[in-house]
Amino acid sequence: MTSPFRIRRVASIARKEVFHILRDPFTLAMALLLPAILVAIFGLAIEFNMRDVSVAVYDADRSPESRGLLRAFSSSGYFRLKGFAAASETLRELDGDRAKAALIIPPRFGHELGAGREGLTQVLVDGADNSTVGVILGYLRGVQAVAASELLGKPPQPAAIQFRTRFLFNPELNSRWFVVPGLIAVVVAILSILLTAMTVAREWETGSMELLLSTPVHPIEIILGKLAPYIVLDLAAVVFVYLIARAGFEIPFRGSHFVFLIGTLLFISTYLAQGLLISVVTRKQQLAMQFAIVSGLLPTLLLSGFIFPITSMPVFFQYFTSILPAKWFMMISRDVFLKGAGFSELAVPFLALIFLNLFLVSVATRRFKKDVEP
Amino acid sequence: MNLSKIINPTLTGFIRKEFAQVLRDPKMKIILFLIPVVQMMLFGVAISTEVKNIRIAAIYQPSDTAARHIHERALASGWFIPGKGQPGSEPLDWIRSRNADVVFVAPQEGLTAALQRGGAKVQLLIDATNVIQAQQVEGYLQGIASEVMAEETPVPRLPIQFDTRVLYNPAMITAVFMIPGVMSMIITVLTIILTSMSLAREKELGTFEMLISAPVTTGEVLLGKTLPYVVLAMIDVPLIMSVAVLAFQVPMKGAVLVLLLAAFVFVCTTVSMGILISTVSRTQQQAMMGSFLFLLPAVLLSGIMFPVENMPAGLKVFAYINPLKYFVSLLRNIMLKGGDFQVVALDLLVLTLMGALAVFFSVRRFRHTVS
Repeated sequence: MTSPFRIRRVASIARKEVFHILRDPFTLAMALLLPAILVAIFGLAIEFNMRDVSVAVYDADRSPESRGLLRAFSSSGYFRLKGFAAASETLRELDGDRAKAALIIPPRFGHELGAGREGLTQVLVDGADNSTVGVILGYLRGVQAVAASELLGKPPQPAAIQFRTRFLFNPELNSRWFVVPGLIAVVVAILSILLTAMTVAREWETGSMELLLSTPVHPIEIILGKLAPYIVLDLAAVVFVYLIARAGFEIPFRGSHFVFLIGTLLFISTYLAQGLLISVVTRKQQLAMQFAIVSGLLPTLLLSGFIFPITSMPVFFQYFTSILPAKWFMMISRDVFLKGAGFSELAVPFLALIFLNLFLVSVATRRFKKDVEP
Repeated sequence: MNLSKIINPTLTGFIRKEFAQVLRDPKMKIILFLIPVVQMMLFGVAISTEVKNIRIAAIYQPSDTAARHIHERALASGWFIPGKGQPGSEPLDWIRSRNADVVFVAPQEGLTAALQRGGAKVQLLIDATNVIQAQQVEGYLQGIASEVMAEETPVPRLPIQFDTRVLYNPAMITAVFMIPGVMSMIITVLTIILTSMSLAREKELGTFEMLISAPVTTGEVLLGKTLPYVVLAMIDVPLIMSVAVLAFQVPMKGAVLVLLLAAFVFVCTTVSMGILISTVSRTQQQAMMGSFLFLLPAVLLSGIMFPVENMPAGLKVFAYINPLKYFVSLLRNIMLKGGDFQVVALDLLVLTLMGALAVFFSVRRFRHTVS
């Protein structure tokens, strides 16, 4: 293989791959449909605030005061109350997943309040569902203050220290602004790691890689040719998510498109290299797929800071996640979108991404060369 | 069909072949038995919804004791770590450059002086790129400020007190919350992808024609393709279950047998769905994309990460036809609550129905492909 590198041969391999993609409209449709589904789910389904939390109530007091407390609960708009005849029945509702919380008002609640003492009420919250318990506890504090002022006819005292909070970069705390820029990383992870891992593994599995290698085409040319169409496919998906973010969800883009493009290209090539490495190591599509999910998709979804903040992880993981390209791209995407950050503010994420990129590309090509050159 | 007709030499031979094929590659053994355990450890430790290590910077005069108290209390709470604020530059830039997540700005005259005059306004600048974190940060600081105030000038307690208890996970340990979700996610991903690709592989490599021309019935082919994966997944279930109980101290209040039964029904359902995906796809790549089309909505609309109750009606429909939602509910109910009969029976029934539907459609699709 002494013939010099030829871009023309890369182009013909790329053309072959494009034909291959086009001949399989199912895969192409999926590749474009998946980002759309993801955006729809994340754009519409994620709502951290709750309404109509079902509460099982046992009112043993049945006094005007206890009814006032229940009114404070239901008029808050957060809770939907359902009465029961015994405390044990409310517990059964919690056990059977039919209520998220139980409110048990003791017999002398109104009497105690009337006598100027404290009215103590028992509240049980379902702690089996992590996504709801924190929100419910927050609502309870609000209802407590409202109920106290209503039952005793006194307006709530303003706190001595009042916070005037400015939520920077996302003043209305719109969760879509937080999620959708991060979603670009997830979409790229699915398309580049999974598709490339599969496509190169397929050539090996069906034996056509040997055929390709016996032609005068250079191994590097094969790889570049095979990856080129997927870069285009990836970019198309990124542009698609970008357009939905801007036009559909009206998320601001405060930074420079150039910075964003450089970051995206770096990220895409890093993940393509990872996909390539997986395919070289596994050589079977079923295995390649599993490795791609375990090393590419799940960490991107769960460990990159996409939903679960990295700063909350144990110290070891805060460092460990630095080997994930998605962590750095997540920072770049969000900061360029919302903070308008440029290269100087994003120096660390960019340097880390460049380093990971060089590392993965060189390992993947070396591994590939070693495999094909006897 | 009687039992001896189902369990015949052809079928056992077929199953043996399938096992050999899966387990021949040592890398596949890693994927099947090691990776799920590693994933459990990884995601169980790392994922937390509690916000910690928030970098706080504060601006106040050295003589301002009230502001200093709040700042020190925040740092001592364990939620905050000191942020870096270069003197001379704008607090906004501290946040922009990721040196601080929140900046606490005391009033010009000093918080202590302002409080003596009756009321003080404190400015908080919070980085809201992460919405969940921003809201929690404000809540933490409000709580800390009112604690500090209450110590200096005791305020009367509210006359209505809630004796609040969080049941099933009183210490609010995140692992207890997350592990049932992570467990179900791992099982789903593993079974759906392995089965959907295995039949597609035969088609792609051309061995599918051989399979059809061989004297085996449709039922035998489908059973032979599904049973090994059900068995493999059922080996994984106790494995990750013991990680959950031993490493993360997730309680196991219900009967282990009920949990295993639930896992078995669920695995049968997902394996059948995997087969259904592979009957409609011709290549492994198609099977992979098809699996994803199922997996992503299934994981995201299962209630593992976001509550189903909050979803808009259109998406709720998808959540209720999602087998993963029922399995997550089963796992949570059995492990944390001890297994309420009504819930367990209903969820199991729904899962069984879904599995039966998937089997019905894959048999039909399969016959259609063969003829």
